[in-house]
Amino acid sequence: MSVTGGGPLSSPEVSVKLFVADPAGVRLKELIPVLHRWIKEDLLPDELQIDVASYEHVPKGPGIVLICDKAHYYFDARQGRVGLRFRARRENRGVGPEAIARAFHAVLHAARLLEADPVLEGRYRFRTDELEFGIYDRLLAPSDESTFTAVRPDLEQAVRDLFETDDVELELSSGPKEPFMVTVRVGASPDVEQLLSRVAAAIA
Amino acid sequence: MSDRTWAEELEGQIPEQLGREIEIFATQMELRRRDEVDERLFAETRLRRGVYGQRYDNGHRHDGVTNRQLAYGEHPTKGPETVWDAPGMVRIKIPYGALTTEQMDVLAALAEDYSDGISHVTTRQDIQLHFVHIDDTPDLMRRLAAVDITTREACGNSVRNVTACPLAGVCKTESFDVSPYADALMRFLLGHPDVQDFGRKFKPALSGCAHEACGLVNMHDLGLVAKTRVVDGKEQRGFAFYVGGGLGAIPHPAQLVSDFVTEDEILPLSQAVSRVFARLGEKQNRGRARVKFLVAKLGIEEFRRLVFEEREALPHDPRWTEYMETLPEYAEKPARKGAALDLGDKALSKAFLAWHKTNVRPQRQPGYAVATVKLPLGDITSDQFRALADVAREFCGDNVRLTVEQNILLRWVSEADLPALHAALEAIDLAAPGAETISDITACPGTDTCKLGIASSRGLAAELTRHVPQLDDGGNGALKGLRIKASGCFNSCGQHHVADLGFYGISRKKGGRLVPHFQVVLGGKWIENGGSFGLATLAIPSKNIPEVVRRVTGRFLAEREPDESFTAFIERLGKVEVKSFLQDLTEVPSYEADPSYYSDWGDPREYTMDDYGEGECAGEIVPLVEFGLQASEREVFEAQLYLDSGDATRAKEMAYRAMLTAAKALVKTEFLDVTDDPEHIVTEFRSRFHETKRFHDRFAGPKFASYLFQAHEVGGNGGRPEQARERVEEAQLFIEAAYACYEKMATTPGTTGVTA
Repeated sequence: MSVTGGGPLSSPEVSVKLFVADPAGVRLKELIPVLHRWIKEDLLPDELQIDVASYEHVPKGPGIVLICDKAHYYFDARQGRVGLRFRARRENRGVGPEAIARAFHAVLHAARLLEADPVLEGRYRFRTDELEFGIYDRLLAPSDESTFTAVRPDLEQAVRDLFETDDVELELSSGPKEPFMVTVRVGASPDVEQLLSRVAAAIA
Repeated sequence: MSDRTWAEELEGQIPEQLGREIEIFATQMELRRRDEVDERLFAETRLRRGVYGQRYDNGHRHDGVTNRQLAYGEHPTKGPETVWDAPGMVRIKIPYGALTTEQMDVLAALAEDYSDGISHVTTRQDIQLHFVHIDDTPDLMRRLAAVDITTREACGNSVRNVTACPLAGVCKTESFDVSPYADALMRFLLGHPDVQDFGRKFKPALSGCAHEACGLVNMHDLGLVAKTRVVDGKEQRGFAFYVGGGLGAIPHPAQLVSDFVTEDEILPLSQAVSRVFARLGEKQNRGRARVKFLVAKLGIEEFRRLVFEEREALPHDPRWTEYMETLPEYAEKPARKGAALDLGDKALSKAFLAWHKTNVRPQRQPGYAVATVKLPLGDITSDQFRALADVAREFCGDNVRLTVEQNILLRWVSEADLPALHAALEAIDLAAPGAETISDITACPGTDTCKLGIASSRGLAAELTRHVPQLDDGGNGALKGLRIKASGCFNSCGQHHVADLGFYGISRKKGGRLVPHFQVVLGGKWIENGGSFGLATLAIPSKNIPEVVRRVTGRFLAEREPDESFTAFIERLGKVEVKSFLQDLTEVPSYEADPSYYSDWGDPREYTMDDYGEGECAGEIVPLVEFGLQASEREVFEAQLYLDSGDATRAKEMAYRAMLTAAKALVKTEFLDVTDDPEHIVTEFRSRFHETKRFHDRFAGPKFASYLFQAHEVGGNGGRPEQARERVEEAQLFIEAAYACYEKMATTPGTTGVTA
């Protein structure tokens, strides 16, 4: 059942996380000046960037967070898995497939910036064969099978379209008290640049 | 499905009063959005709901080179120079730090849904969530209310969280468990009419004994220390009763009001203190508006006389002693039966033994222990908080307390379970040893999120956490018990005055550039309820503070007398000598030689004071009458909504109530004890404002007052349904007349009573 226009995917609190290819190469501290520079140079034109919050002292936590008006970008290590998470806040960036596409666009744009950042010397590369999709909205999207069933068609289709493959596996990966999370595994791994250009074309 | 709201979802789960308060706040937000409530009044209103400002909420931020405008959307402000859309902080009151596992689950969820996935434990046993949008706060409050938590009066000029020793009830040295008394005091003062007209905040604390640190009574506005005495062969419970303690820029030790106040008198006496503070406390100069200044101004003798005089005049309130009926039943329920642990067991790991040494203390009750979960900088992730709730369910039940050292205590753990508990905590990265030692550093939010922050207290604390383990005390443990505490400014939220090594943020200029510094405060006394305050010595650049710690602790180790405390050592050394051996660290290299001095810890931007803002700690000085008039406006707005929805009966009722609220607000300027009884309000209003013609309009005479009298005569919702619109319009006119009356009073000195 697709729920385009209502249900869990009408929540503005959608998130997508990309995992880094080499977690050992990540040093959270070095991201602090990088993200401050993003603010200074206004490198995320779709966001009003406000500040950088550091939680590097907390194990498996939110890591370094770029706080924006209507989204947060985390370089987090939740559940021990290091990666870049885009999490929309409050503003509904479309519903159903559009919400998913816009979330992919946001995270891929930020990922490309990190991959290309001269200070980081190419140590930050992102895997695309696995990612995490989530909805931080316990009212509209409790972490259970019914939400998964409702979200699945749109999410699966969006991933197929983006990765240009039918080899897509989705798995509800969150417990009942956690925010709703789906692990997405894809049998293809185009690079970030390629995915970004595809999704940019799709939402244009 | 998509239209469902938290209000609907939680229907029947939210206590009626809490639910009503939240709806009122949501309406106040709506009125502010429409620009129908003054921004200053709304600011104090939201502060009293725990909705606080945060750095950069004036819509500007310095990026290290220039000050930039943050282009938020166009909305009315949520306070003076406070942008509606700017993220803010929500402070959640956790009375005496006591949490249930269900509450922990909810807090974890809220941090994820509305904040950034971190719950921050404060130095007053609160939880703070940062980067919260104000539009999310009513739902956040509803979800808290469903588990019996409120944010009411967590900020603003009101009674803040009632704190207490986190070991209360299990401590070996306490006179008795102060938890139920803290609970009673919290419930009695929360929203009490006598605590609504303070010029500044008011912080109460309770302690089970005089000699330990836990309650920190010496630095609180109102402090109660448990004690007992024998009267006619029977043990009697009571409290040493203190007022006027406080840290801030100028710390004041609390003064003794009475050496022994019996348990049945603590609530009325606290009420009497509140009345004296509300009546005589400073209202204009917020820098001198805490009760400590009033006590200093009057002298404790006169303050005491006024308090007891007020106490005698108080109308009786059955709540003063009602709570005592439940005292005999008050008890905590352990999850498991207590059993001893053999620490000589060879199977116990080194990691466990190290953790046990610093993080575990035996309870008064044999077979049970308290385990401290040491949180880095007071932060816990939502995943950890949820997992910790499960750990608590398994090992200790709902016996969890937050501490003023920004940690979490698990109480009533069977000693035999400690190895399993340690393993469970290790699995969620919460088994760090060193709780309540030199490595357990306290810090307020500082420049990370606080508008008043001058230097990065959290950045410094994180840096020192890396340095402290390198300090070597040769195994004699002399350093272990020292406390390090850092505040981002002189306001002392990090409680630096009562630390062995305290630091507070300041700034200095070098070669035309600003350099973050910390003032070094040495030798404060943590024990004896924060027994004495440290010695301010020198302003040292932030980047040299780790070296300060190394030198000071090194000298202490080298020169201390046997069993000499750090406080005594610093006192013996003297300010001159301390200054002399730290003097070279005051030097700041030129920017060209070392630019790192010109940035703060954890923040690569070149340091500036441009982001320093108007603090909200002091709240807005809003006379009590304005809150009442604002409430009446909200009620007439709600009456209009009922009218629009076709509910004439409720519209009339609400319009009548709005007039009563406005009338009561005026009466309260002269007579604080006016009750909620409509007859009482109308009688007082008639004699004080109508018969004296003070409420008369210049042209319409008594017309507007007559609207109230007529509605009162027919009893609220009486009259024909078609009169509802008329009643709502009359209520609107009555409120306008009340404002006009108040304005006339305000221009006539001495006529607004409680605002003088």
